[in-house]
Amino acid sequence: MIGTLLAGKGIFFLTLLLLGIGMAGIIVCENYMKKLICMNIMQVAVIFFFLCLGQKNGGTIPVALDSVINAADYINPLPHGLMLTAIVVSLGTTGVGLALLYRIKDRYGSIEERDIIRRGKDKQ
Amino acid sequence: MTKNLPILIVLLPLIAAQLCLLLSKIHRHVGRWIVITAVSASLVMSVIQLLEVIDKGPVHYYFGNYKAPIGIEFSIDTVNAMILILICILGLLTCLFSNEFNQVSDETIIGGMNTVMCLLITGLLGMTSTGDVFNLYVFLEITSLSAYCLIAMGGNKGVVAAYRYMLVGTIAATLYLLGVAVLYANTGTLNMADMSEILNDGEYDDAMLLAMVLFVASFGIKMALFPFHGWQPAAYTHADTSARPLIAGAMGKIPAYAMFRYLFCVYGTDFKYFDYFLKVLGVLSVCAMLYGSIRAIGQKDMRKLLAYSSVAQIGYISLGFAIGTPVALAGAFLHMFGHAFMKAGLFFCVGAIVYRYGKFSLDDVGRIYKKMPLTCGLLVIAALSMVGIPPAVGFFSKWYLGLAAAKQADWIYLAVLVVSSLLNAVYFFRLIEQFFINEDRNLSQIKERGRIEASAWILIPVVVCFVAILALGLCNVKIVNILLMTLGEVGLC
Amino acid sequence: MRKAIGIILICAALILPFVFFDVLPAIGDPASAPNSHVSDYYIEHTESIANSPNMVTAVIVDFRAFDTLLETTVMFLAGVCVMIILAGVFKTDKRIIEPRSKKMKKHKKGEPVFRGINKDVTITVLQPIILVYAIYVLFHGEVSLGGGFQAGALIGTVLLLDAMAIPDKRNFPDITKGTSAMVAGIGTFIYALAGILTLVGGGFFLEYEKFPWSVAAAEQHSIGILMVEIGVTLGVAGTIVTIMNAILEKVKFDK
Repeated sequence: MIGTLLAGKGIFFLTLLLLGIGMAGIIVCENYMKKLICMNIMQVAVIFFFLCLGQKNGGTIPVALDSVINAADYINPLPHGLMLTAIVVSLGTTGVGLALLYRIKDRYGSIEERDIIRRGKDKQ
Repeated sequence: MTKNLPILIVLLPLIAAQLCLLLSKIHRHVGRWIVITAVSASLVMSVIQLLEVIDKGPVHYYFGNYKAPIGIEFSIDTVNAMILILICILGLLTCLFSNEFNQVSDETIIGGMNTVMCLLITGLLGMTSTGDVFNLYVFLEITSLSAYCLIAMGGNKGVVAAYRYMLVGTIAATLYLLGVAVLYANTGTLNMADMSEILNDGEYDDAMLLAMVLFVASFGIKMALFPFHGWQPAAYTHADTSARPLIAGAMGKIPAYAMFRYLFCVYGTDFKYFDYFLKVLGVLSVCAMLYGSIRAIGQKDMRKLLAYSSVAQIGYISLGFAIGTPVALAGAFLHMFGHAFMKAGLFFCVGAIVYRYGKFSLDDVGRIYKKMPLTCGLLVIAALSMVGIPPAVGFFSKWYLGLAAAKQADWIYLAVLVVSSLLNAVYFFRLIEQFFINEDRNLSQIKERGRIEASAWILIPVVVCFVAILALGLCNVKIVNILLMTLGEVGLC
Repeated sequence: MRKAIGIILICAALILPFVFFDVLPAIGDPASAPNSHVSDYYIEHTESIANSPNMVTAVIVDFRAFDTLLETTVMFLAGVCVMIILAGVFKTDKRIIEPRSKKMKKHKKGEPVFRGINKDVTITVLQPIILVYAIYVLFHGEVSLGGGFQAGALIGTVLLLDAMAIPDKRNFPDITKGTSAMVAGIGTFIYALAGILTLVGGGFFLEYEKFPWSVAAAEQHSIGILMVEIGVTLGVAGTIVTIMNAILEKVKFDK
């Protein structure tokens, strides 16, 4: 029972575990850079999750060969296309996040949450 | 030509944003005028679109002429079209308002700010009109990225607020994507109408439950519903002054509309756990209404007061969803329009005060009405509308909500509605007291900027919001009738 | 301890519903919903409609081309955001890149910072090859693996290598951050232009068969895809250079 479950759906749980680690990291870590890294882990987890749906037994990569035109012979191209978009979006978010971190480090002199809160209060 | 209206409404701001930096090379303010032109053209077209939708029923637009489940679809109904008009008006006003701010930087910064502002408008327009679940995600990300940037432009604290919002907002986007994955795994389609058909035919209750939990969490974060509102006060407070009205006025409303779309249009009232979700939403919105109002009473900073008030007002909108009858939904959407203008108007007023005197704290602005009479006049109207005094729009939306709650015999909702309105009165009268009655402070202007009132670019948005609040209030029956053309079919019988 | 409990709770909360509800199809099942509903249409009609053997390319730039337009816009937006966020950092004088710990050898003034990169090899050998490869990837993307994003990234890499090899002097014409963001904007505009041309031709947005010139339908699709790829390439390359310029402007190398 557990064997078939793992064979059929094991990867889903691994990706969800990755998602949980990322989300926990965002909540638990106190360093803003670590939070950004955890955010990336989380995004990658969902991308893997989506890609699992594109898998098809007996299918090959979705580039058409002249000899084969049967739909069962190619894996599903849609999740791959969607995840290309998601990857670019996560790249953009990470870039903006790094720029914001650069500004925070410049203004507050630290990227530890404790220091930032303390200095924010000092300035008031 | 009318068949292309849905795309043109979104496309024109997008093109304006793409060319804004190029045109800023000519002169640093040319880019801004291109953005203003594009958004006003969108406004005109969305009005035409609304008339057409009223006339002929919902419009569907298929990209690349690939029919529904294959390609991407825009679907516009009456609710949609009204929200499009709302976003266009708010965007246009904010662009005019930002004319006075940020005059001195070099052309790349000004052009970049205009680009980002225009893309925020594009993202909101797209989120409203799309009929494809993944397309919604991309528009959501455009909206969020530009919002992070506009919040970060607000100075030192703005950067930290933007960073925190970015972390929370990315969690929201990720949860949304996970929900989409669950639905896609079960239906194999990404089109909302097609998905709705498949979900209603088969036995997918567990998957739908799981996906809906994820959607409520994700849109709850984006619209700052009560337990997820943590990012919102800091972000609204420290955002860039010129962009704040758009962020506060429109950005929280569109995810609420998206949630409505999932709950009522994609899932429908046949969904097995529908009532539970309405209960959960009801509890959350009751908490939001009380918590936001109570927190707002204690604030000294005008911006923070208004931000916490937003938490409460979002609660009204989701309360309308929680009651679920067509009248309640119409009330919720009327409140959405009304609150967008009220909150944007209040933030325009605060912006005008900041522009002239650079003061945020309530203690510093005693008897400011002598110096800025028109601005303070609007502020009073907007505040009274928030409290719910007729004939302003705030009264009518609460009236419809209360009517629907009484009809469903949800007495707790009705009681909370009244209590929250009274709490609104407490903090808004505090604001009015400071502006009109308390002792005069000797405010010194930052620069000599006209003898009385701010310049025309600031007054136009203020006056338009003033007119819109009264007009929405006076024409409420007509608007609710237009809304009910769509909502009559989706609500609880 | 508190942290550990938090992590366990979150993971459990996320995973448990998926275990009990059994809502997901088995991996690789050809009969599952995502593998049967619309995906068959994409696989079978890619060759005949989109005239591109690469199905992923066909999906992203033909069937769901509007998503990709927005995706490119996200890239452009990220570039602009980074540019205007970093413009707020003023203190350039204090930002000197130096080794973190004192044990590491501090390089002498007057030498290039990244001494690991050989100027002669990079500029004379690597850059032309990368550029040629980028153009190959760009024009061959619709047939095999590759496409606009990869080509844009490669062109961006060329400019990045240039900046790394000689920090203060550029081999290529000097591109300021305003110009590169502008290029990225023009790239995304070329993509949108493909859609506008189809609107002019009387079709729907991005309906490639309605381009206002008359050639066979399959060629129309190829022209459309190529136009889109060129737009994406410019957009991505411009964005990469924008981000690089925005960062380099705030860093003072010791020479």
